[in-house]
Amino acid sequence: MNPILTFLVVLIGFYGLSTSDNVIKSVFSVTIIESGVILLFLNLGNFEGGAIPILSEGVTQIVDPLPQALMITTIVIGSTVTALSLMLCIKVFHHYGTVEWKEVLSREDVKS
Amino acid sequence: MSRQIVLILLLGALFAVFTMSIIELEGLYNAFGKEYFLEYGQSDTGSNNLVTAILLDYRLFDSLFEAGILLIAVSGVIWISKHDIEEKNARFMIDKFKTPDLFITFSRLVYPLMLAFGFYVIVNGHLSPGGGFQGGTIVATAILILYYIDADKETNIGLIVTVEKIVYLLIIVLASVSIVTRGTFFTNFFPLDATQDTKAIYLVLLNVLIGFKVALGLWTIFTAFLKEGR
Repeated sequence: MNPILTFLVVLIGFYGLSTSDNVIKSVFSVTIIESGVILLFLNLGNFEGGAIPILSEGVTQIVDPLPQALMITTIVIGSTVTALSLMLCIKVFHHYGTVEWKEVLSREDVKS
Repeated sequence: MSRQIVLILLLGALFAVFTMSIIELEGLYNAFGKEYFLEYGQSDTGSNNLVTAILLDYRLFDSLFEAGILLIAVSGVIWISKHDIEEKNARFMIDKFKTPDLFITFSRLVYPLMLAFGFYVIVNGHLSPGGGFQGGTIVATAILILYYIDADKETNIGLIVTVEKIVYLLIIVLASVSIVTRGTFFTNFFPLDATQDTKAIYLVLLNVLIGFKVALGLWTIFTAFLKEGR
């Protein structure tokens, strides 16, 4: 995949992060940005016709295993960050009764 | 409206900057690492799967703290979700959504298969695609189906997290054994000239421990969410 297309995915995430009114949609936008970064890294060592990096007889043309090993870390951390943010969203809903950014921020006790 | 136009312009500027720098990105990458792993990876670590070789031997330090971050996030989720109501099982959830009988029957059919597949992925992490993190996720998904099969199933979150912490300590201990046998931290504790099958013992042990830990962690996160959904 072209690196430019992966950056388009990141831009879609930025756009969603800037325009979404809903807290949960903001969390999903962060997830989309993360997907773009994962695609960019997997694209780095990849080439046409490359085999998966598992050695067996007759396998010489493999893709680079290092970005794939790094991206496992990103995926695990991303999933935990998403879980933590969604739990915070639930807490916001229980406390304020809404998950809309504007309504939460217009409350008296939020303004500092 | 004008805000959106400004936003799109800013994103377009970012895109233009990235497109101009993409040529340097191509020059940034080189295949020396790949050549090294292709030549020495199997004899160094005893793993056919080079991703597992990097994850559990070359860059084990990364993987340890990756598992640690999962533990910290689980602790955070539990700490945030603490409230007065202590639900013991998922009965309230099933009643609310009226799970179809067909789904429950098929869950009973699929549950052992998913569990077996998860264990297969964990144990064969050094030979085929997979490993501790991926297989642990599959096992956790299989355990979550149990909530639909048996809605009265009780889960003690505190016990699960305690077991997870003990398993994490075991992982660190197993990774540090190599300081005694080899003189370096965080690598295979068998000597470098051992056969591939001997080295695989270490990989399977570490994969099983990591898979166990990931499964327990995701199970805890899901149970915490379930208790919030009252």
